Amino acid sequence: MRQFIGSIVRRHPEGVTISMVVLISLAFAVITQGSWLSVGNMQSLSQLTAVLAIMAFGEAIVIATGEIDISVGSVSGIGALAFLGLAPVVGSGLALLGALACGILIGAMNGVFVALLGLPSLLVTLGTLFLFQGIGYAVTSGFSFAATNSVRQQWIYNAVGNSGVAGVNAGVIWALVVLVVLQLVLFETPVGNRILAVGGDAASSFSRGVNVTKIKFGVFVVSGLLAAFAGVLDAAFIGYADGSFGATMELSAIAAAVLGGCHLTGGRISLIGTLFGAFVLRGIQSFLILLGVQPQWYILVVGLIVVLASLADRTLTRFALKQ
Amino acid sequence: MAKTDGTTDSRQPLISIRNVCLSYGNFQALTDVSVDFYQGEMVGLVGDNGAGKTTLIRIISGIIPPTSGEVYFDGERITKFYPKKAIDLGLECIQQTIGICDNLSVGRNYFLGREPTKRFFGVPFLDKKKIRDASAKVVHDFGLRDTVDVDDEIALLSGGEKQTFKIARAVTFRNRVIIMDEPTNHLSVRERAHVNELAVQLKQQGLLVIYITHDIFQIHRIADRIVIMENGRKVTDVPRDAMSAEALEEIIRDGGRTPAKGVKSA
Repeated sequence: MRQFIGSIVRRHPEGVTISMVVLISLAFAVITQGSWLSVGNMQSLSQLTAVLAIMAFGEAIVIATGEIDISVGSVSGIGALAFLGLAPVVGSGLALLGALACGILIGAMNGVFVALLGLPSLLVTLGTLFLFQGIGYAVTSGFSFAATNSVRQQWIYNAVGNSGVAGVNAGVIWALVVLVVLQLVLFETPVGNRILAVGGDAASSFSRGVNVTKIKFGVFVVSGLLAAFAGVLDAAFIGYADGSFGATMELSAIAAAVLGGCHLTGGRISLIGTLFGAFVLRGIQSFLILLGVQPQWYILVVGLIVVLASLADRTLTRFALKQ
Repeated sequence: MAKTDGTTDSRQPLISIRNVCLSYGNFQALTDVSVDFYQGEMVGLVGDNGAGKTTLIRIISGIIPPTSGEVYFDGERITKFYPKKAIDLGLECIQQTIGICDNLSVGRNYFLGREPTKRFFGVPFLDKKKIRDASAKVVHDFGLRDTVDVDDEIALLSGGEKQTFKIARAVTFRNRVIIMDEPTNHLSVRERAHVNELAVQLKQQGLLVIYITHDIFQIHRIADRIVIMENGRKVTDVPRDAMSAEALEEIIRDGGRTPAKGVKSA
């Protein structure tokens, strides 16, 4: 029995999160007398989940290699500001490319310090978190960037913004596309096998001929790209962004990944679990709002969840590996 | 080509180490080591802890570059040191502590770094059927339990099974050199005999086998040549028949202070 449960936890670390989603959905629906489960709330919840999930997918890929990327919050802010700042000047297509390029560049910067120079990712990305938050504040200097009316008419702006198919928001569709692509890359390709191998045992992967530096550099670039894209989606949906855009999102992204069954020690992650993890966090947030609780309390809840999930993560890992 | 002490082999060595030194800061791990290894022989690399055996094979398998000196493979000088290069040259190193990623399945570990692929729309996807079938055949040929499923995480295997897995993986890709670093550590008596049998078979198939061990008596029975290292230097390099295991053990026990005797008697 123990072995059986152990093997399920090993193979399907997201199982716990998915059962949690079902349970809290029921609980929240009952407590709010159905309004949490209403179509309107689900629509906004799914959009918020999608943005967080895209950021958390990138975080999960970094966690897969045994590193961590704390800078994603600021990177999403830079992505949002670059998109809204550039769109009126060069059009939303080029602005999108520009925003994504910013994400790639910041990711590459993290990658150089962590993968090439061997510095601890926790410190490096903590540094870039503040560095780009500072740049965000400096660029906006207290004002906010908003999408102009002509920008709002452009189809690319709407493709990443406030449009949808059959009641499903564009952001949700993008999140599903990213999920499918990453899921295939991670579990069905040689690159994915090597990403997981590096997280499992970097020295062993190196001895098998895996280029550990390249893999680690690559995951930070992907994380930067996805964080910037999440920022673009959020900004295009809301229509404006200020210097604090994306602040504290890194904590939610890490929490979503850990809740979703990604082991911080690397090598074992679940992207589907991460999606559900993002949904749980956003679900709690909207539940608190529906209850009329001050939104600031949400960050307290996220902090608690990160601490508790890390504890559960360790306990579960030990349990699963014990024979 | 300089002949190795004690050998009368006039062929070109497959691996030639010339005056290799390696230092970590002030610590001199290897001092002026020169040794040749030939195709089709089994060399026992023996010495106490910290003698430099593992450091030497780390250089040969491309994990660390030497501080000075030259390394030749099949007559060609190696200038860049990284594991992929050694693997591509047909050199497999079975190391004590590394080589397996516990979080991956047996099959994925088997093919790590050289995963077979099928292309869909130009994108290389893992050929999972091939990974499963090829690795299952090999691990079971090498005597792993029938209950071992290659889709299971490799963490579920025992120490001996992991060692057998590493050897199976090393020998089934067309290789020319197999280096075994303490392959029988922590193994049961039966598993140990099995591993040594495998090593002899590899040599008989024409591979160069470099076998690292503490146990001079064990290796004296199966090796063609014994190289003893001490304090980062090579102190003895003799054909097996030239010296008894007891005499060799004395050299190791003396801490390499009587190297002349060993070489002369060759």
